[in-house]
Amino acid sequence: MVIQENMSLQRKLEILSDAAKYDVACTSSGVDRKGSQGSMGNSVACGICHSFSADGRCISLLKILFTNECIFDCKYCINRSSNDIVRASFTPQEVCELTMEFYKRNYIEGLFLSSGILVSPNYTMELILETIRLLREVHRFNGYIHCKAIPGADPVLIETLGWYTDRMSVNLELPTAESLKELAPHKNRKNILKPIRQIQLRREHNKEFIGITDNTVSSPKMITGREDNDIKEIVTTKTSLVPYQKPVGINRRYVPAGQSTQIIIGATKETDYQIMSVSQALYDNFDLKRVFYSAFMNINQDNRLPATTQGPPLLREHRLYQADWLLRFYGFHTNELLDEKNPNFNVLLDPKCDWALRHLDLFPVEVNKADYYTLLRVPGIGTNSARRIIMARKSAVLDFKDLKRLGIVLKRAVYFITCNGRTMYPIKIDENFITRQLLSIKDRLPFGIDKDITYQQLSLFDDVNFQINPSQAMKIANI
Amino acid sequence: MSTIKIFLCENSIDGIFTAVYVAWSSGYGHSNVKIEEECEDHSYSNMELFSDYITVKTDYDLAMKVSRSIKNKISEEVYQIVCRVALSNHIGKADLIYRFLIRGFQIGSGIMEHLSEEVVSTVFKINRYVSYEAHHFLGFVRFSKQESGLLTSVIHPKNNVLSLISSHFADRLSNEKFVIYDENRKTASVHIPGRPWFIVQISDYNVNLFEDISCEEDEYQDLWKTFFDSIAIKERTNPKLQRNNLPLRFRGDMTEFKP
Ligand code: SF4
Repeated sequence: MVIQENMSLQRKLEILSDAAKYDVACTSSGVDRKGSQGSMGNSVACGICHSFSADGRCISLLKILFTNECIFDCKYCINRSSNDIVRASFTPQEVCELTMEFYKRNYIEGLFLSSGILVSPNYTMELILETIRLLREVHRFNGYIHCKAIPGADPVLIETLGWYTDRMSVNLELPTAESLKELAPHKNRKNILKPIRQIQLRREHNKEFIGITDNTVSSPKMITGREDNDIKEIVTTKTSLVPYQKPVGINRRYVPAGQSTQIIIGATKETDYQIMSVSQALYDNFDLKRVFYSAFMNINQDNRLPATTQGPPLLREHRLYQADWLLRFYGFHTNELLDEKNPNFNVLLDPKCDWALRHLDLFPVEVNKADYYTLLRVPGIGTNSARRIIMARKSAVLDFKDLKRLGIVLKRAVYFITCNGRTMYPIKIDENFITRQLLSIKDRLPFGIDKDITYQQLSLFDDVNFQINPSQAMKIANI
Repeated sequence: MSTIKIFLCENSIDGIFTAVYVAWSSGYGHSNVKIEEECEDHSYSNMELFSDYITVKTDYDLAMKVSRSIKNKISEEVYQIVCRVALSNHIGKADLIYRFLIRGFQIGSGIMEHLSEEVVSTVFKINRYVSYEAHHFLGFVRFSKQESGLLTSVIHPKNNVLSLISSHFADRLSNEKFVIYDENRKTASVHIPGRPWFIVQISDYNVNLFEDISCEEDEYQDLWKTFFDSIAIKERTNPKLQRNNLPLRFRGDMTEFKP
């Protein structure tokens, strides 16, 4: 291990942001908070992207590790103890300085602090807590903070940290306990799920609850045929809640933006069905806000892991994100999208088109009558299109021309809808015909997955919900 | 058939609202009047030969009356939508607002549901376009710290978004003195701690204001560039996606894209 003394802040930042870049979560969304006198910062629920790095990903937060030293040896991780790389650690003051100065210049929305494990989980968690406390209490930083909870750290530390942060996350890393054991021998799946559960329960009992034992034992919501014993055990065990640790002077809710987690895909043999079942179980049982998927890259050139010479499995990652979106906003359930016989997503079609083709008996739907969730199931109609249709049809009976004027993309939808009982072209609902038509429409894939395809990461939400209120103070004075 | 009366107005919310009031109460009838806003270079877009032109002088009291009627008789939300349209770079926006308000006062707060009507859907689209750009600038504005402690930023937006974004920064940086300068329109918003922010017209670009960069400024700009480079995953380099998310036109004013 190479440890450098007196390393410059610049060099530390280079090393510790480089080491943090594989974490895919970088959103600053989920909490609306006004600024206040004497402090710096506010927070906007829809999130704000401040820049886009060369890989096209949004930069919203100062995403860094506190340290890249680590006593663990997870096979997929660049920071694993067996790697011979340059190691560095920030001091709490340095992290505060970077956050405050970057924030003031509007480079960032806030801080995303993760870390390797220095000395022990507790030792690391204490350093992180000290940093965040300093940032909130001394520097009076009121912007967004996302912090990693280190599995295995004392629950009291996690409890306290949660009062200062907006979002917390514990990475699941791999979909199943077996894979985790194989690739991250020092980690244990239950140790990962426990802090997730702890944070969830505190969020639910936000203010009042100061008891010792939590009696709420949930009945696990599981997908038939896909029992997940760890999840089941964690949600059915009575959890000892740690004493309520809300710090004096902190006037915010507990982890207001909720929790997220991350799963590496393609490093182990799990199918999409297994992965999506885990996500579904996490959403249903732990109230997670987001599950992030990270296409595996064999950065350590470890021959015990799959080679990624063709590049990381980006298309698969993309399909999982599309499906995840369907679970969170479209009312779909994993079981509708995949099953034991069809355990992986179609490479050629997005999950919704694929589902619709297998359920042609439910189509076409009448746009002037269908309810919101039925409209959402039509390929090509997203949440905003559906909302717009519902709004517009209050005052008029819609035909295809009206839909176009509403900005609704009909390329795919046209095979699945009627306006006033009529289809746009005399189409017969025949699976082969529609499949051919859908395949001839270019799938909007992320740039770099396929050539010559225009794509927006936001393709699933056809527009975003944000509006800024013009201020009253609009008169222009001349000086 | 009588000739069309064209009311020429200043390119501002108050200018347009004044013209709406004057045209409406002129008694010529909606179909015989048109409102035309000044272009940003203070000319008018397309003078028509067989029309009468009437220049409207901006009157804040009349504009206020129009604002109040929109809020009371239609809705607060529609008022804000109309303001965003008035701040857009859409040529012909003044007359569009006039036509939209005619329908708005007939229908009331449900006007935005009439998306299948041309004026409503056009207003809807422009509102969205302006909101998007304003939202982009909440993230893309970059401040530099001057020796005096003043934070300065220069932007070149397509729409006149300055007034839409300044409240956000005044709230966020309540203890900081800052100036955001829209170089295209030669206007700036100014914030001084403890006071409401305001907009000023800057006739000559006051270079001194922006060029007394503090010594620590360079250091933080370099730290930011370092972070910006090392946070990208090289194996996933994707300039097209980057350009799609962050179009080139914004980059000229952003620290991380400057040499
Ligand atoms: S504990 Fe975290 S930092 Fe350490 S090797 Fe495992 S994944 Fe990497």
